[in-house]
Amino acid sequence: MASSDVRDVLNLPDGAAGGPRPSKKQKISAPRPNLKGLAREVHNLGGDNPIAIVPEVTQFKKRRFASRKPVARWELRPFQNSGRTDASLTLRHWRRVEEGKQPSSTVGGGEGQAGEDDVPGSKGEEEIEDSSYAKYNVQVSVPQYSDDQYHQVLENPDWTKEETDYLMGLVRDFDIRWPLIWDRYEWSPPATNGEADADGDESKAIVPATRSRSMEDLKARYYEVASRMMAVQKPVQYMTQPEFALHELMAHFNPQQEKLRKDFALNSFGRSREEAREEESLLLEIKRILARSDRFNEERRELYNRLDYPHAEQDINTFKSSTGLQTLLQNLMTADKSKKRKSIMGGEAPTTSGQPTPQQAAPETARRDSAAASTGPRDSAPAAAPAPGNKKAQQQQQQQQQQQQQAQQAQQQQSQPQERKKLTEQEEIIYGVTHHERLGSGPTFRTEKINKLFSHKSNQQQLRITNTLNELDVPAKLAMPTAATTHAFEQLLASVNSLLDARKVTDKIDAEIKLELAKKAEREKAAGLQEEAEKAEDADGDAKDDTAAADEPSKEEDNQGTTEGADPADEEKGDGEDAVPSDEAAAQPSVEQDDDDNDNAADNGKDEELESAAPKRSASVLSNTSDKAAKRQKK
Amino acid sequence: MAQQPLPTSAQPTDIYGGDEVSALVLDPGYCNTRAGFAGEDVPKSILPSFYGHVTSDPPRDLFGDECIIPRSDFEVRNYMNKDSVVEDWDVAAKMWEFMLVKRLQPERQTPPSKNKLNDDVKEQDGEGDVAMEEVETMEKALEEFPLLMTEAPWNSPKAREKAIELSMESWGTPAFWLSRTPVLSSFAAGKATALVIDVGGANTSVTAIHDGMVLKRSIQRSPAGGLWLSSQIRNMWETSEPKVDLVPTFMVENKSPVDALAPAQARLREFPYKIHDSFRAFEEERLLTEFKESVVEVWRGPGRYGAAGNEEYIKSQPGRVFEMPDGYNQMWREQRFKVAEGMWDENAGYPVPESERLTKAQTIPELIRSALNAIDVDLRGNLLANVVVTGSTSLINGFNDRLNNELTAMYPGLKIKIHAAGLSSERRFGAWIGGSILASLGTFHQMWISKKEYEENGVGIVEKRCK
Repeated sequence: MASSDVRDVLNLPDGAAGGPRPSKKQKISAPRPNLKGLAREVHNLGGDNPIAIVPEVTQFKKRRFASRKPVARWELRPFQNSGRTDASLTLRHWRRVEEGKQPSSTVGGGEGQAGEDDVPGSKGEEEIEDSSYAKYNVQVSVPQYSDDQYHQVLENPDWTKEETDYLMGLVRDFDIRWPLIWDRYEWSPPATNGEADADGDESKAIVPATRSRSMEDLKARYYEVASRMMAVQKPVQYMTQPEFALHELMAHFNPQQEKLRKDFALNSFGRSREEAREEESLLLEIKRILARSDRFNEERRELYNRLDYPHAEQDINTFKSSTGLQTLLQNLMTADKSKKRKSIMGGEAPTTSGQPTPQQAAPETARRDSAAASTGPRDSAPAAAPAPGNKKAQQQQQQQQQQQQQAQQAQQQQSQPQERKKLTEQEEIIYGVTHHERLGSGPTFRTEKINKLFSHKSNQQQLRITNTLNELDVPAKLAMPTAATTHAFEQLLASVNSLLDARKVTDKIDAEIKLELAKKAEREKAAGLQEEAEKAEDADGDAKDDTAAADEPSKEEDNQGTTEGADPADEEKGDGEDAVPSDEAAAQPSVEQDDDDNDNAADNGKDEELESAAPKRSASVLSNTSDKAAKRQKK
Repeated sequence: MAQQPLPTSAQPTDIYGGDEVSALVLDPGYCNTRAGFAGEDVPKSILPSFYGHVTSDPPRDLFGDECIIPRSDFEVRNYMNKDSVVEDWDVAAKMWEFMLVKRLQPERQTPPSKNKLNDDVKEQDGEGDVAMEEVETMEKALEEFPLLMTEAPWNSPKAREKAIELSMESWGTPAFWLSRTPVLSSFAAGKATALVIDVGGANTSVTAIHDGMVLKRSIQRSPAGGLWLSSQIRNMWETSEPKVDLVPTFMVENKSPVDALAPAQARLREFPYKIHDSFRAFEEERLLTEFKESVVEVWRGPGRYGAAGNEEYIKSQPGRVFEMPDGYNQMWREQRFKVAEGMWDENAGYPVPESERLTKAQTIPELIRSALNAIDVDLRGNLLANVVVTGSTSLINGFNDRLNNELTAMYPGLKIKIHAAGLSSERRFGAWIGGSILASLGTFHQMWISKKEYEENGVGIVEKRCK
C-alpha cells in the first residue's frame, strides 16, 4: 500500500505532485522478484522493502518407504552369448523378475541358493536368453583364395604360399591391426627336407635364413593379395564407386613412400629441444604471415569493389544534352543496382555477370594484370601471375591451384550466397550434383536428350548410326538412362559420328584418287592421239577436268565427284527445293547431303533430300561441317 | 533441488557395458597375491606370496599373514620366483585355492548326507550306494565362477597351460581367461593404448599396449624394483656412520628412548628355538618397506641427483627422522635421495655386489627408450601421451615428477602425459582392478575360454586364445 493510498483513506489532501509520483515508484519496483504464494496486494504492502518470507518446509526429508510397492525381485538368470565360438557356454547374471512373471523358484526368504538351484532345471530347456552383447562380436573379412587362384594371380617371387597363408591368418587374428601383426610376425619356414618332427628343428636339412620383414612389406603383400582377389571376384569395370576407390587405394600402396614417411617421422622424433622450439616458432610465423596476407587480400578486394565505377568509353559530347544526361543517369542507376546485388565484399568473381558490357570490360581487363590474384581463381594461371614475386604471391598461387577445379563451379554459383556450404567434388559425385551452362525451363527426361541427338540427324544418318550401334551390340534406346549412362551414350554417339565422318572422308578421298587416276589414264590416252594440238589444254588441266566432271552427271553420281564440281549443282538444288534463306547455310547442308549419300544409290539420295527438313538439318550440321566446307571451298 | 540418485529399480542394469557373471579375479605377484570378485574396486583377499612351511613331521604349509609368526621348525618360502613367474605349482595350487575358496566363498554347509543328522539305521546297509552318489555329486570348488588370472608378460607357454589346467581340472571353473598384467593396468587407467611402466616388488617392466594387446617386442624388464631398493637401503645402513643395525620388530621386547645417533638401548627377545633366516629376512623386509614408505624419496630434478650443486642443496634442506624398532634414530638427508637414484642413473646409488648392480640398460629411462625403439614409429607419440604408471614402488615420493622430467628430457617436443592413479590402492592393485573391470564387462563374455572348448582343444587353447 503506497502512501498515496493511505492519504486517500484518511482523506488527507493530496499533494500537487502526488499524481505522477506513484507511477514512478511503480516503475522502479517493477523488476522485483515475484514471490509465489503471496497475494500481490500483500506483497505491495512492503513498499520498496520486500517482505521477508521464509518458505515453510512441511517435510524435512522424504519418507524412505513412501512407496508401498513390494520389494523388487531379482533372480540369477542363465544366458548364452551367440557371438561366441562356443555358444553353449551358459553364464549367469542377476536380472529383475518381470512384473507378472513369477520367479521360477518358490517364493521364499532365501532367494539366493534356492533360486539358483531351480533356475537351470525349469528354465534351461525352454529358452535361454541371448546376451545383448553378442552383436558386438564382429570379425574382419580377410581375402580368401584357393590354390588355383593363388597360382594364377598371387604368385610373388618374394613370398611362398605358406608364408602368405600365415600372414593372412595373422591379419585375421589381429583384425588388421598392423602394429600387432608386425609385432607377432614370426614366420619360420617349414623344414625343407620334408621331415618335420614335432619338436625337431634339427631335422631340417637346410634352414632357410629367416628374413625379418618390415611392416611395409607385410602391408604391401596384404594389399596386393586383397586388391587382386577383389579384382578376381568382381572385375574392375563392374565395381561400385567405393569398391573401386578401395581397390585403387590398395593396388597403389607404395611401401617405399611409407618407408620414407616413417624415416621422416623418426627424424622428427629424435629432434632436440632447440629444434623443436624452432619448428614451433616457424609454424607460428607461417600462421601469422598467412593471416596477414588474408587480411591484406580482403582489404584490397574491398578497395577494388569501391573503385568499381562505370567507365565512360563514349564521347563525352553525347552527355551534354539533357537526354544524354538522362541516359547517363539511367546507366549509373543500372550499374548501381547490379552492384548492390553482389555484396560489397566481393565474391570469388566480383564483376563478371553474364556478358560484360563495354563499361565493365574495361576495368576488368585493367584489373586482370594487377589484381587477378586477389580476385580469386577466375582466370587461367598464367594470366593470374602477379607482378611482384614475393612470398605472398606464391601462396596465392597455391591457393589458386587448389581452387582451380572449383573455379568453374564458382563462376556458375556466383548468384548463390557465399555462406552456403560448398560441396567438395567427391560429395558432388555422391549426391549427383551437376552444373550446367544453362538449363531449359521445366523438367526434362534424359531420354529426350538422347532422342534429340538422333532427331537432329537425317534419316540416312540415323540409319547409319543405328547400324553402327547394332554392330556394337548397343541398343539404340537406353534401358536405364541414368546420368552416367546418358553421358556415356552421348560420348558414344559423338565417337560414332566422328567415325562416320572419317569413313565419309576416306571414301571421298578414295573416289577422288580413282577419278584422278582415270583422268590421268584418259589424258595419257589423249596425249598419245594428239600430241601437239592439245598442249595448251593441258596447262589449265584442273579447271578443265572440273567442268568435264560437272558435265557428266552419271559420273558424279557414281563416285560423288569432286567438291568443286558438285557444289554448283547442289547449290541449284538447295535454292530450288530447300528454300533456305541464307545461301551459305543452304550450300552446306547440301554438301553434307552429298557426303551422306556416298555409298547409296543416287535416286535414294534424291528422295531423301526431298523428304528431309532442311532448316533443322542445317542447324545441326552447321557446327560439324562448317570448317570442313570452308576447307573444301578453299580448294 | 538436489539430484536424487535413481532408485535401484529404475537404474539401468546394463550401464557402462557392465554385465556381472560373478567372476573371480586372481592376480599373483612376487610379493602379494590378490584375489577378489570382478566388479569390485579392491581385491577382497590380499595375502603375501610368502607362506609358512613347518618342517616338522608332518610338513605343513601355512598361508596368510597371521600365520607368519616366530615358531619352531618354521621357515618362510615363496611360491613365485623373482621373475614373477610361478615356481612351485603344488603350493601355488594350494595357495590359490585357499584364497579363492576359503577366503572368498562362504563356509559351505555340510551336505545332509554327511552331517550325521539324517543318519538312519535303515540306510546303513546301503552304504556303498551312498558313496557312489557322493562321487557324482561332489562339487568342485569353483563350478559357478568364471576365473580371470593375470600373468607376467614374459610368462612361459608351459606355465600358462599349467594355469588353465589347474583352473579347469582342479576347480572346475566354467570359464577361464589369462591376461597379462600391463594390459590390465592400462585398462584400470581407462586406456586401451598405453605405455605401462610397472614398478613392482621384484621387477620393473615397461610394456607398450596397443588396442588392448601387448606388443611383445616392446617388453622390457629389469630388477630395479622394491627388492632392489631394499638391497640399496641395507647397503646404505651398513656403510653409514655409525652403522645401523637392522633389527626387525619381532626381536625387540623392550626399548627405551635414546638421542639421535646414540646406540640403541633395547632388550631383545630370546627364543627357545632357532629362528630361520628366511623368517628374519621376511620380517626385515617389513621394516625396509616402512622405511621406503616414510623416508625414501626420488630426486625430482631438475637434472640428475649427481648434477653439480644438487647434493649441497639437499643437505641444506630439512631431513627426515626414522626410528628403528630398537629405538635407534637418525636424520636422513641426502641419503634418502641417493638410495633411489640408482633406478635412474646406473652410476649413482650405493655400491652393491657386481651381480646386483644395474646396467645402464636396466635403468628406468633406458627401459622406456628401448621399449619405444622396438615398436613402430607411428605409435610412439601416442604412447608417450598415454604413459601409465603402476606398481607399489612407484608410490615413492617424487617418482612421477622425476619420470616426467626424464621423459621430457629424452623426447623434447612431444606431448608427454603420465597417468598415475592417486589412490595408493589403485596403484598397488592396478592389474587386479583392470582384471576386475574386464571380467565384468558384457562384451567380455565372448572372450572366455569355456570348459567345453578346453575339453575339445586341450591346454593348447590358452596359447591360441589369450594372445
